[in-house]
Amino acid sequence: MTNIGIYICHCGTNIAGMIDVEELARKAAKLKDVSVVKDYRYLCSDPGQDLIKEDIRSMDLDRVVVAACSPRMHESTYRKVLSEAGINPFLLEIANIREQASWVHSEKEKTTEKAFDLVRIAVAKVKKDESLESLPADVIQRVLVIGAGIAGIQTSLDIANIGYEVVLVEKEQSIGGRMSQLGKTFPTLDCSACILTPRMVEVSTNPKIRLHTYSEVEEISGFIGNFHAKIRKKSRGLNPDLCTGCGECTARCPTKVPGEYDEGMGKRKAIYTLFPQAVPNVPVIDRANCVYITKGKCGICKKVCPAGAIDYELGDEIVEEEVGAVVVASGFDPFDPTSKEELGYGRYKNVITGLQLERLLHTAGPTKGEVIRPSDGAVPKRIAFVQCVGSRDEHANKYCSRVCCMHAIKNALLIKEHHPDAEIFIYYIDIRAFGKGYEEFYKRTQEHGIKFMRGRVAEIFEENNGNVVVRADDTLLGMVMENEVDMAVLSVGMVPRSDSAKIQKLLGIATGSDGFFMEAHAKLRPVETLVDGVFLAGTAQGPKDIPDTVAQAKGAASSALGVISHKVLELSPLISEVDERLCRGCGDCKDICEYGAIELITLDSRNAARINPALCKGCGACTVACCNGSIKLRNFTDTATFAMLEAVLGGEA
Amino acid sequence: MKEYASFLGCIIPNRYPGIEASSTRILGHFDVELVQINGASCCPAPGVFSSFHLDSWLAIAARNIALGEMTGKDIITMCNGCYGSLTEASFLLKGNKELKEKINGILSKVGCEFKGTSKIKHVIEVFSEDIGVKKIQEAMNTSLEGVRACTHYGCHFLKPAEMKKHGSSERPRLLDEIVEASGARSVDYKDKTMCCGFGGGVRARNLDVTLDFTREKLNNIISARGDCIVDQCASCHLEFDRGQVEIKKIFGQEFRVPVLYFTQLIGMGLGMGQHELGLDFHSIPAKPLLDKLNGGRR
Amino acid sequence: MTEFDPRIIAFCCNWCSYVGADLAGTSRLQYPHNVRIIRTMCSGQVFPSYILKALELGADGVMIAGCHIGDCHYVSGNKKAEERFRMLLGIMKTLGLDARRIRLEWISASEGVKFANTIKEFAREIKELGPRNGGKE
Repeated sequence: MTNIGIYICHCGTNIAGMIDVEELARKAAKLKDVSVVKDYRYLCSDPGQDLIKEDIRSMDLDRVVVAACSPRMHESTYRKVLSEAGINPFLLEIANIREQASWVHSEKEKTTEKAFDLVRIAVAKVKKDESLESLPADVIQRVLVIGAGIAGIQTSLDIANIGYEVVLVEKEQSIGGRMSQLGKTFPTLDCSACILTPRMVEVSTNPKIRLHTYSEVEEISGFIGNFHAKIRKKSRGLNPDLCTGCGECTARCPTKVPGEYDEGMGKRKAIYTLFPQAVPNVPVIDRANCVYITKGKCGICKKVCPAGAIDYELGDEIVEEEVGAVVVASGFDPFDPTSKEELGYGRYKNVITGLQLERLLHTAGPTKGEVIRPSDGAVPKRIAFVQCVGSRDEHANKYCSRVCCMHAIKNALLIKEHHPDAEIFIYYIDIRAFGKGYEEFYKRTQEHGIKFMRGRVAEIFEENNGNVVVRADDTLLGMVMENEVDMAVLSVGMVPRSDSAKIQKLLGIATGSDGFFMEAHAKLRPVETLVDGVFLAGTAQGPKDIPDTVAQAKGAASSALGVISHKVLELSPLISEVDERLCRGCGDCKDICEYGAIELITLDSRNAARINPALCKGCGACTVACCNGSIKLRNFTDTATFAMLEAVLGGEA
Repeated sequence: MKEYASFLGCIIPNRYPGIEASSTRILGHFDVELVQINGASCCPAPGVFSSFHLDSWLAIAARNIALGEMTGKDIITMCNGCYGSLTEASFLLKGNKELKEKINGILSKVGCEFKGTSKIKHVIEVFSEDIGVKKIQEAMNTSLEGVRACTHYGCHFLKPAEMKKHGSSERPRLLDEIVEASGARSVDYKDKTMCCGFGGGVRARNLDVTLDFTREKLNNIISARGDCIVDQCASCHLEFDRGQVEIKKIFGQEFRVPVLYFTQLIGMGLGMGQHELGLDFHSIPAKPLLDKLNGGRR
Repeated sequence: MTEFDPRIIAFCCNWCSYVGADLAGTSRLQYPHNVRIIRTMCSGQVFPSYILKALELGADGVMIAGCHIGDCHYVSGNKKAEERFRMLLGIMKTLGLDARRIRLEWISASEGVKFANTIKEFAREIKELGPRNGGKE
């Protein structure tokens, strides 16, 4: 005989404010096979959990229904309660009466009615639930980290320093990411290279870190504890093992093109490294611009290379790696302001982006730290910063990019220190100086005479002398103001990387409406994704400054360690199984399975399907494909669904 | 041959018949015929009417569209106001079933029904899409070389951009491409996409505010050494042409910048005369411009 | 006569649409109470017979909701759901049921607004269609 206990949570007034809990309990008590119904103020609290445990023990309950918040919140909490009270944790169902009832409706009577239906559905289902045992699986005790900017570097070092192996994959030819492009960093003004390059060297010398630069992950298969990755190591056009990094090839290369690393402000060669402290210090041949590769002429680099490392014909290499967890730290792209046509970027020479200014201010940048304006190389004396370009904008991205205020303030101060007579205007909506020491830094900038103009810039237009006029609604004066300046700097926001859709598909993780990868819970699971064993670090998850990026990277490291520090993991038993007595061996299930989890075996001289529990992900596609119902997805069976439908539509439970 | 139902609106038949004359003639030259919409009324003006009473505006606009639909052809307009009204009304009605039923309930009293079967186009779209810049360029037989034209698109053609969908509303190219195809040179000037001053009922209520806008635009055009304004809207056309007379009266500043509807410019490139293009109805004579061309027939 | 209060069943996949429905809740978006959500692992796990059974038992409308095409947690379960749904539409005609009573939607984990709006729209449409037993269906 079945002995069901139903527990209804008030969640303070979150549920009890819109659902008549007493009425719900009264109705639920009348359902067949229900022995006890109780309601409690906060069921997830310790006393709430104890209440259920007590009843299970004293009343011999064998199944439990909890009517509370979404199963995505507390399903695991209540499963544990069942376990601790001595019954199988899978004999539990949650009726989601908060997110899917009390929070979305406003008529108490109707909402209570609906809540009762949800309870009926849960009761019908729990009766069909079977006891399940978790499946043990061996864990590969290594982590794959995708992206070697400051986030990926920090995650890798933390994991490696605990003693586990890391496979670190970087798309660019050197590690370092966006942070390596920066000069001085706010609010302390310490130089980015001074704090970053020691970490980069640490990565390259740590024996636990296997670094693949100029490489991209092409395929990932498997599951938590057992991922298999295929990585393409793109050809550098030279043999990295022979290259000594002497730089002779770069020095002698005759081809010059605008450098991406300098955001187009300077030029680079066709064989080049990104920056002097690159890790590894091995150049790459840019195949699109190399004269030897495009026209078959030149070949100077090959002639001058003392190590004989140059090999134009060298092809890509595929390496395969086995890991137990994955950390995505793929970073961001700066917003391309060309689409904000009213600001004239790309049309007016003296309108540049914040990152371009950053390169000009960088002592190792194309101008060795001297800020000049592109049209005539003159030192600009009047500079306007335009905030929120591509951020907080209904026509571009709605979110705040979080770093642009401080970035502009920092660069304004640096220019002012170089040229005290420079006049600097920062056009802003609100100044967001939220971090530690940021507000103080902002205050200091104000004292240096930098003018903060409150108002979004409507338009920028060019004068004949190359100067640009910034037109904005000054919301403090209530007037439209025009201001002729020598140069305008657009504080562009952060957007998801152009290749983030590829990574999303590779791993099956979700993206939010802003395009950044989505965490499992906005507050409490900020580094996890909905895919077990895959974690997020840094700006791949959303705009962040360096301290927040590093903090999240450390969080991702500890979460990944939480997976791979176990030798064996318990896998979810919610997978498909075949009734081999019924199976006709047609193989339709095998064809539909995306994971190769089904094979045909010979059983008493006939064919039958068999499922590999380690590979099955529990999607249930095979159960629908099966011609005679011999496969079922555990605890998601057709009989359970029919029972739920009967309960809610037929009025019985 | 392609045929369209032509929605004329108010300003064209009453004030600037040259817009219709030049458009009809030149479209005919490119094998596009126009048929009249019988019984059409005022569009009515998009911003003003709709902000006072949305349903009244919608019902009248929907009736005009319904009359156009009866011809079985797509509808074209030559005025941005009409274009704005009909496009926006059609957009709202197509996207909201309840609203459509409500308005059709009103229309049923006069035996009309909005179906949404006819596309609403601005005549400039016929030139850019159906005819194409290349064909216009090839057809020109009179050189317009040396004409520095300042284009004015008008607000209701471009915005709201998500309804109008003509690409960039900040840096549009459509009209400039057609002007350049005619052989004239399109000259950039400050605040090119700024309002002419007419819109939103301001002209009717605060003429001095309206004219202040117009004057600023004209000053910018003079600074850019423009020979003429080329527009694509009957309202803007009126604003720039009559406005110059009014500015002289109110502010004492005299401009003599000829105002051309874009089909009038193309007509000049096709060798058509002042009278054929209806230029003699303008307050500001186009003669200086015609003199500049001075018989440049190829 | 009391107003027709339709009964709608929604099969929502565990990874996208169920999460989207939860997001509608955490965002406190309001939508009609008529819908009862049944959680499935994947839209590709929904048997066509589930829909038919629900209709047989008197549901006025049935929705299957899954991840957007290309975003399926299980690679292509939603594509399978789409094929099966197309087949179902044919069956509806044979059974003399109005095809507007069933619906397939892609609602991602971040689309709480879309979830609420879809339910609003579906409930309105089903109300317009009227009750099942009231007509010939």
